Amino acid sequence: MPTVAELMSALPESAEEAEVKERSPLPEMLQAWSLRPVPVGWFRRMQVLGTLQAKIGAAYLFHWLRGWFKSADENQRHLAETHWRTAFRVLDSMSYLRGATMKVGQTLASFPDIVPREFVETLEQLHFSAPPMHWSLLKEMVFNDLGDDPEKIFASFDKQAFAAASLGQVHRARLTSGEEVAVKIQYPGIGRTIRVDFRNLLMFLLPARLSRDWENAKEQFDDLRMRLERETDYEREAAMLAKVRPLFHEDDGIVVPRIFSDYCTPRILTMERLEGMHLDAFLETNPSQEVRNEFARKMLRAWYRMMYTGRLIYADMHPGNYLFMEDGRLGVIDFGFMLELDDTLWELMRMIDRPLTTGRRDDRIAAMKEWSWISDAPEDRDRLELSEEYADWCWHSRYDGGEFDFADEADFRRGIDLFVEMVRKRYNRSRPCTPVIARQQFGWRSMLYKLKAKIDVAPIAEEEIKATGWDRSEYAQPRSL
Amino acid sequence: MRVTAETKAATRKSILEAAQRLFSQQGFEATTTRDIAQAASIGVGTLFNYFPTKDSVALALVGDAWMRASEAFASGSQDSSSLEEELFAHVAALLRKLKPYRKYLPAVLETSLSPAASQEANGQPSLRSSHLEAVGQIAARYGELDSLSAVALQLYWTLLIGLLTFWATDSSPRQEDTLALLDQSLAMFAGWLRANVGQGSNLSSNSKSSSSPS
Repeated sequence: MPTVAELMSALPESAEEAEVKERSPLPEMLQAWSLRPVPVGWFRRMQVLGTLQAKIGAAYLFHWLRGWFKSADENQRHLAETHWRTAFRVLDSMSYLRGATMKVGQTLASFPDIVPREFVETLEQLHFSAPPMHWSLLKEMVFNDLGDDPEKIFASFDKQAFAAASLGQVHRARLTSGEEVAVKIQYPGIGRTIRVDFRNLLMFLLPARLSRDWENAKEQFDDLRMRLERETDYEREAAMLAKVRPLFHEDDGIVVPRIFSDYCTPRILTMERLEGMHLDAFLETNPSQEVRNEFARKMLRAWYRMMYTGRLIYADMHPGNYLFMEDGRLGVIDFGFMLELDDTLWELMRMIDRPLTTGRRDDRIAAMKEWSWISDAPEDRDRLELSEEYADWCWHSRYDGGEFDFADEADFRRGIDLFVEMVRKRYNRSRPCTPVIARQQFGWRSMLYKLKAKIDVAPIAEEEIKATGWDRSEYAQPRSL
Repeated sequence: MRVTAETKAATRKSILEAAQRLFSQQGFEATTTRDIAQAASIGVGTLFNYFPTKDSVALALVGDAWMRASEAFASGSQDSSSLEEELFAHVAALLRKLKPYRKYLPAVLETSLSPAASQEANGQPSLRSSHLEAVGQIAARYGELDSLSAVALQLYWTLLIGLLTFWATDSSPRQEDTLALLDQSLAMFAGWLRANVGQGSNLSSNSKSSSSPS
């Protein structure tokens, strides 16, 4: 298992940042924080997870902080460090911290090449492992929320969880009407605790807003908070499932589980149980190129369908959320984090359709200027060029035409390098939805990278985009499909 | 006039039923002993023959529910796989039965159930001693301890009363925070027990090393 120091050194670092690190007591503090023994209490059970993801969380936060301190002067840095120390003490006392850092771990797992490969493989396990709640506690949760013991509410109910949600766990069960279901149960009170604690934490961080990068940091912080909040809001997830399911039809070969709302509460989510393998298990069966391609096409189609027909961005594209079913269908099972495209975002999606379709540099530049409010001023030139290059990386698999080799490691690396450079130069400051958009971009690319898919993206996109009803006659050539 | 045991039991029952109705309708604080007597169709003097104070009425209600919970737990099949889990199931059974009395538990907790209260009431084995006996039996099933020391039992009781106090005013949805607190408290208690057993400490009242330090 890598040490914190190893993890930290695996993260990109500039010379300037290294200098800050030497002067700052923060690294030691963070290291100490991440290595501290787990406190007694229910954390004991969490020890089965090991402390790896907590260390990763620490390393990630540390990296984020380093960037933060870069532009601050000595006094500001001192002030900010004091507040960070307080903030970390608070963070440290949060009982679901392991859940939060696990989320960070999952985010990193979507970036296969930003950290060493073996490390990503370990990280991916996190999608499926979480601290268990014992049967007696589950029973009380079901009793309180659904009105009776699980044995009476369900025809059968497995006492052992078969999968873990980051802040709860999933059990197999059968309804009295015969349906096989998956019941996701959340640790009591965790959703509310997160909301309150994050509010408090933000208060501690407020003095740091003097820093130039406050807005950007706050955005990343809000992103993590929003992610955790949404993942703990099972009612919202149930509503989302009910909204997404009708978007798919039998011949799509894409399945979204049915919700059983009589068995759902804010803390309990009961849905149809799909049988299938997760990505790693699927790849171990040595599937042929064509089988992998077919699943990749379905993944893309599902993503486009949600976006263009459902006006939803599936922001949580990690392997734990997909099932590779024996009959070739793709199951999409987790809807904890969806971004709804409001009118503003919808217009932006429409705006970027032109560069996505034409592949012209001028179109990309115009789109990036509008998306990230970049001016024509000379001081913005570098930012614009880098953004344009990043946009090219994001979109070229669609407009290059023909089969695209998603297994191309050099191309994948290029995307990571561009993104890291943008983060380093603080160029990623943009619209609030940008972290989510960037994550799903790396999410789908990394899924297809692992599948080593070779597919033509454009025909799927062109088919799915019809649902928008946009007038694209000015820039889109009719394609023969 | 001779009052038979049956009549006594029936009067006691009707007093408790009337009290429970009034407590849940108008709250514990707003209910007087006069109200209870009136609702039970007896004189206040008669009421006092059975229960000297309003608190003692509440205690009787809680006590009866507590005993029912203990019986239900003892007769149910236990399929717990760890000490903390079975302790959890034990308390959860109690919470289910005490639920109708949750809001006026503090009145009882302050007097009869407080960790500071005397352990025996009116020569009867108290709720405390019978509950702790069950805890000892549970611990014996999982640990190396044949019975828990007075220190361990006192610590457990303090946790339990703290939990009940928290529960009485828990405003979280369906009192879910109480479940989290119970889970964490019992994990802490069980962890502490194990850690101390591992170090050969004297938490078992019949362990050979349990002599008091001189």
